[in-house]
Amino acid sequence: MEARSIWERMMRIDRRILYVILAVNIIAALMARVAIEPDVPPPVKRFYDTVEALQPGDMVMVSSTWSAGTLAENQPQFEAVLKHLMRKRVRFTIISFAPPARDISHRLARRIAEENGYVEGKDWAHFGYTPDIIIAIKGMSEDIVQTIRQDVRRVPIADLEVMRGVKSLKDYKLVVDVTPSDTLGNWISYRPPDLKILYCPTSVMAAEAYTFLDSGQILGMITGAKGAYEYERLLGIVGLGTRFINAIQFSHVLIIFFILLGNFGMLMQRRASAS
Amino acid sequence: MDWLNEFLPTSTERLNVWIGVICTFAIYSILYRENPFYRFFEHMYIGLAAGYALGPYLVDVLYRYWWEPIRTEGAWGLVFVVPFGMYLYFIYSERYGWISRIVIGALIGAYSGLAFQMFSSRYLPQLHGALTKPLWFPPNATGEIFLSNIFNNWIFLIILISVMVYFTFSFEHRGAVKRTAILGRWFLMIGLGAMFGNTVMARMALLIGRVYYLLDSWLMMRVGGG
Amino acid sequence: MLFDTTQLVVALLWIAGAFALAIALIPLLGTLPPRGRFALISFVTFIAGLFFAAEFFLPVGEDNKNILTDPFQKMQGSLQVITALSLGLGTYGLVRLHLRNAVQRRPQWGYSLVLLVAFVVMAFFSIWNTMAEKGLFGIERTQLLENAFTLLFDYTLIQLDATMFSLIAFYIFSAAYRAFRIRSIEASILMFTAMLVMIGIVPLGKLISDSIGLPAVQTAEMRTNPFMLENILYNLRLPQIAGWIQETLNAPVQRAIEFGVGIGALAMAIRLWLSLERGIN
Repeated sequence: MEARSIWERMMRIDRRILYVILAVNIIAALMARVAIEPDVPPPVKRFYDTVEALQPGDMVMVSSTWSAGTLAENQPQFEAVLKHLMRKRVRFTIISFAPPARDISHRLARRIAEENGYVEGKDWAHFGYTPDIIIAIKGMSEDIVQTIRQDVRRVPIADLEVMRGVKSLKDYKLVVDVTPSDTLGNWISYRPPDLKILYCPTSVMAAEAYTFLDSGQILGMITGAKGAYEYERLLGIVGLGTRFINAIQFSHVLIIFFILLGNFGMLMQRRASAS
Repeated sequence: MDWLNEFLPTSTERLNVWIGVICTFAIYSILYRENPFYRFFEHMYIGLAAGYALGPYLVDVLYRYWWEPIRTEGAWGLVFVVPFGMYLYFIYSERYGWISRIVIGALIGAYSGLAFQMFSSRYLPQLHGALTKPLWFPPNATGEIFLSNIFNNWIFLIILISVMVYFTFSFEHRGAVKRTAILGRWFLMIGLGAMFGNTVMARMALLIGRVYYLLDSWLMMRVGGG
Repeated sequence: MLFDTTQLVVALLWIAGAFALAIALIPLLGTLPPRGRFALISFVTFIAGLFFAAEFFLPVGEDNKNILTDPFQKMQGSLQVITALSLGLGTYGLVRLHLRNAVQRRPQWGYSLVLLVAFVVMAFFSIWNTMAEKGLFGIERTQLLENAFTLLFDYTLIQLDATMFSLIAFYIFSAAYRAFRIRSIEASILMFTAMLVMIGIVPLGKLISDSIGLPAVQTAEMRTNPFMLENILYNLRLPQIAGWIQETLNAPVQRAIEFGVGIGALAMAIRLWLSLERGIN
């Protein structure tokens, strides 16, 4: 049997070794605890400025459709957004269009609200789970009371102090869509035309949203955990985005290195075969 | 020694964390090779996910939108929704399977009717945005427009047209059309490259979240930036 | 109390009647010939679509409503219920499959049993938790419920869900090393763009640009003189390149895809509405 060249052995490396290399890279980067200042991109800056321009008592809808599968990307965004809204003393309501998102967002919001002196029912509310996002948005655009009926604790919407003076989505200033799926298209399609949208997607969905940013259909966007880090820097807080960013960027370096290494190995293997 | 006492599952909270860690390692064991440990937890995961959804379905939806209006408001028209909605479950019947298509047809019809509003609200503003990009300095400009904006607008339009030509299959691509389509394909690769870059970031972040949980919650180490 | 009981009995009777009617209709529907069945389904599809299309197209009055706005509001709760029932199809199908596996002792039926046990336990606590949250039927949160739901949801389901999705990172890494090969111009463009974006969007891109001395800030003078050397160097920063790729090169590509998908979706929607798609009906 012909001895395998180093390049051949490199190309046929057991994938489990690659998995270990990736894991070690991430562990090392997390333990390094290095902070590098970000260059905040315009979509994040516009996101921050839009929330910053809100006045106390303004009404915001937070659409939370993410579940545990995208915890690491959406949780930092969700927490940072809620903290910013509470800092501005803005009223907000949360709605979920996926079953696990209901409990995850409710439990998280309760914890953050307690830390910031927000009272459920008075300063914020959770509308629970509705399965059909299109019907819900269309219904809320005309009459929230009839569409949602009661919050997650079975308190009638009309009895909630936070909903005073609010009849429909037309009375809201903003929708913040924290999502791993294409709920943004539904918000854009069926909302009242004057309702502004801010978008918090996972990074997978971000590239597709630049067309909406360009057309002005969304005003700002924070992309995954990296975007949450940039947003946290603007807010001056330390959250999960800040914790993860180091590992994110060094995993990018690793993957670029290995893509180049794989191609270099292929080139060398071809030359070895040709000679 | 203190660390060890805190690390071991001696309280309910620590036991819960250990259970979470066992679940994590059970799933990661597939990376080594297929094994019954992974299969057990995989099936448990599917069962838990399916079972969890029943709570929101039954209480947040059926109770809130069907039972309570009937019970407290006398909305008798609603009584027919669940019995006739359950025609959907005939999809599993060989003999009466077609009956489920009545309800499916109603749903498909509803979403098809909604497509007009979707098209008007989602795509027309994008068309407007593309067609109103200034390609030279307008005579009565109200905002600031720089040469870089003009340059970017031209690039935007060229890319938009060439990618749309690439995706047009109504006629054969020949001559100038073919060259435009090839250009469109190259630009498409740029878009896909941007998507790939973002996808890598997303997936890495999910893994980083898990590793952070193991280091922070389980091993109680202070990790991460900040 | 008596009034409450009477209301409850009346409601239950109405529901029983509705179920009876729905069941009684089944043999009647069974007598329809195939063409009649197609006609019925097409009719229902058309009417449902017509309602929503008309609701969008009909002109609105000063109160921003037309004659279909209020009927839509009244029936949107029913639509939510039907959507929930359709989502329940998946759960029903899953349980049906694994119950069959377990009862008939098919290969690997043990795993199906695990799934069913997990399903029943979680369903029980999920329903209990949701009802206790709403205070339905006097149900309260007990310590058992709190502990059990926290264990099952926070420390089992969430951990399993998050871990499942994180597996993809390993596969992407392995695939990038073993399969991502530059063999054509298109692959080169894709890879080069991906690498620029990956480095440019993270703080490391800024650090690299700062360390090689590229200007960190774009002044007003640089904006008005685009051919100024400082402005050119500023735009060569990795974050600026990555941002330009995403906003100026990627955005029109996504828009072109959007247009294609949008027109296709509208065409398909019309075909489905008019029951021209044979495979569905």
